[in-house]
Amino acid sequence: MATAVASPPTSAPPRTSEEERVRAARRRDRINAVAWRLAGYAFFLGLWEFASGRLMDERLLPGPVDVLRTFGELWASGKVPGAFADTLTRIGIGFAIAFVVGAAIGILMQNRLLNGFFRDAVTIGVTTPGLIWALITAIIFGNRPWGPLIAIVLTTFALISVNVAEGIKALPKDLIDMAKSFGVGVVRRNRQIVIPHLAPYIFTGVRFGFSIAWKVTVLTEVFSSSSGIGFEMRTASQLFRLPEFLTWILAFYVFALLLEKVVLEVIERRFFAWRDTIKS
Amino acid sequence: MSATDTRRDTGPADTAAPDTVDELPRRRRSHPVVRVLRSSLAGRIAFPIVCLLVWLLAIRIVTSIWPFAVDVLPTPTQVFSFMWDELTGETLAPRNVYETFGISLRRLGIGMAIAMAIGTVIGLGMGLSKRVNAFFNDWVVAILAMPNLAWALFCSLAFGFGDVGPIVTVVLTGIPFVIINVREGVRNAPTDLYDMARAFGVSRADTIRHVLLPSLMPFMFAAARYAFALGWKGLVVAEVFGGEDGAGWTIKFWYDAHRAYGVIGYALLFVVFALLFEKFLFDRLSGYFFRWRPEVNAADVVEQRFDAPGVATATATADSGNGTHATTTGPKPERGAGGDETRRSHDG
Amino acid sequence: MAEITVRNLHKEFGVGADKIVALDDVNLDISGHVFVSIVGASGCGKSTLLNILSGIETPSHGQVQITEDGRPAAKGYVFQAARLLPWRTVMDNLLFVQKDRSEQTRARCQRYLDMVQLGDKGRKYPGELSGGMQQRVGIARAFSTEPDVLFMDEPFSHLDAITARSLRAELQNMWQETRKTVIFVTHDVGEAVELSNRILVFAKGGHLADDIDMPLPFPRDVADPEVAVAKANVFRTFEQIGALAVS
Repeated sequence: MATAVASPPTSAPPRTSEEERVRAARRRDRINAVAWRLAGYAFFLGLWEFASGRLMDERLLPGPVDVLRTFGELWASGKVPGAFADTLTRIGIGFAIAFVVGAAIGILMQNRLLNGFFRDAVTIGVTTPGLIWALITAIIFGNRPWGPLIAIVLTTFALISVNVAEGIKALPKDLIDMAKSFGVGVVRRNRQIVIPHLAPYIFTGVRFGFSIAWKVTVLTEVFSSSSGIGFEMRTASQLFRLPEFLTWILAFYVFALLLEKVVLEVIERRFFAWRDTIKS
Repeated sequence: MSATDTRRDTGPADTAAPDTVDELPRRRRSHPVVRVLRSSLAGRIAFPIVCLLVWLLAIRIVTSIWPFAVDVLPTPTQVFSFMWDELTGETLAPRNVYETFGISLRRLGIGMAIAMAIGTVIGLGMGLSKRVNAFFNDWVVAILAMPNLAWALFCSLAFGFGDVGPIVTVVLTGIPFVIINVREGVRNAPTDLYDMARAFGVSRADTIRHVLLPSLMPFMFAAARYAFALGWKGLVVAEVFGGEDGAGWTIKFWYDAHRAYGVIGYALLFVVFALLFEKFLFDRLSGYFFRWRPEVNAADVVEQRFDAPGVATATATADSGNGTHATTTGPKPERGAGGDETRRSHDG
Repeated sequence: MAEITVRNLHKEFGVGADKIVALDDVNLDISGHVFVSIVGASGCGKSTLLNILSGIETPSHGQVQITEDGRPAAKGYVFQAARLLPWRTVMDNLLFVQKDRSEQTRARCQRYLDMVQLGDKGRKYPGELSGGMQQRVGIARAFSTEPDVLFMDEPFSHLDAITARSLRAELQNMWQETRKTVIFVTHDVGEAVELSNRILVFAKGGHLADDIDMPLPFPRDVADPEVAVAKANVFRTFEQIGALAVS
């Protein structure tokens, strides 16, 4: 008994220090992680810079510094905003059509007959490489503007359909029944339950769809377009200007990544914050 | 759907066939013929027929407006007779379809082997050490988000025509999936089994061989499947730009020859080939590797994961690390990010 | 003869406000071929004690010594869930924990599988067996290493009542035959009374509240009046020391 009584006072002072130790350890862990992440950046960028000109010919593998300098030159030539704008317009229009088509199919798939009808269409849409659509539309439409648009629609609609269908399938029937039992009207039911429930599904579809849409757009531009990022890439590669080529693709890649990672994710987090709070 | 699994509280069961609509009680019994006509099978059969009709109709309409479009628009008969010629070995291309796919397959195999080897090492490191994870994480995400077009074009320019460019493209397209899956496998390590091994004093070597490696197998398998499906797409793009032979190059051959029926026919062959490979080889392998899983047919699980877009690819690839958060918030809040990345790369 | 000595054992988890004391100054001596049950409400530290004894966890402070004739004792473990390798057959699961893979060892494993009436299931995968069968394999695995001390952590708590009862009878027989030292954790007082000849009662906060001898002869049956009386007595002790969960 004596030991039991004696132990709390002796363990009290070390407890706080222990707490501090743990906090310090956590802080150290965080700093460590950041340091290692920076080390990763340094390593890979350094490797890239080192490889260019030493492991591989400088003209074949321009280093990051070269790419930045080329970007400066391209920017100064004034071609960049125009090319970005062309590509973004194309993505915007194509993706908007894909969204409407995809959402419509997703809704129609609730019907059994149409579900069977569209199931294979969706599978084909998900599994067929964008390259194939790009080539087919390019050969049929040449460089008419709707060739790339059709390619974008065909590669992205399925993702939207799948997400919409998933969302509808997972509608919270219990909540809807609850609302019905309280005599809540159709309009309010839709606004308060159905739409908030579907919104995240649709948004996820948009996010994935976008990440695919931009890649396909650039790909189609490579084959059949006289403007846009893909066209600039094709020109640069035909002239064997690797720095320019790399700069175009990297610039748009960084732009798209920022858009989908930062912008879309911030929007998602802001609007759908309730989902995380519910989870925890 | 990996896309949505994060916040879904429902299990994987509801991702099964979407026919559940059938079972709604409100449906009244109707005439059997009507029922057959309304069934999902009827829709499935109708789909190719409608497609063919739309195709023929489109040709009819377009050629009535622009008569000169006849050359550009291929008819279904042209396409199918082209495919038949290819399959029987008669071709105008320098190599027949079997040699062509053989060449591509060899490149894919080499690329996948390299990707699996390197990816496993990095994935193990990232799963075991937070520092290694912090070191590589953003770069894995970056490589994953890179369009394979960029790799393909770059490799064709940098390595010239031949085997190297396509193989490097396959490695670069496939490696993020291997890394992410292996990391996830390490993170989902069965700790209760490790404790068991420790309590019985089993040696380290035996624990690795009988506990660690088998528990990683499903993740490795998922990795191989993804690396195959996406590496294949990447390979074809690479061959289009930097090959002298192979499936991609042959599609480009027909494209350059302005034979639309050739492009479409070859594209169909290509898709069929990938699907067959996927269904037969991978299903066989998964049946063999996961024969210890009698309760759920492992083939089905992996199958669903891969095939049906509506199923979480994320169990294996979850938390692929959405760059900024994976290291700080741990796996749970980011679940689905992996699905994101995976899904995201299902492009051309 | 196995000897277990525990001195001033203390174990806590977490730091600061989250700190939980799992075991508080536990002292114990167990020796010889006894069947010791550790009972108590959930969260009283009984599983922690078992984990420390078996070496899965380490104590915060205090000493634990487990010897067999002066040398470190060999240990076996039966877990709450069977913890079988799902990707290995039943026989390979038994072989996994053996020191060698000789013919003799195989024969021994087969003998213990026979003992739990699964002699013909050696080539099955655990996923093909029922929960009760899996737990039997777990028991056979623990016995098959011929340990000096056997630890069991609520091995029957996941099973239905009928399966659990037949497994308890089997366990009694095996213990009679092999005469190991068994440390058995359970929250089921009836089970403890039926199986053990010594019961350690743990109270909330992780201290050893009582140590009861159970001298009744084996085999016991819960239906026997003597066993029922003993069980009632143990429950009374529980109430006296306030060890029952106030849930």
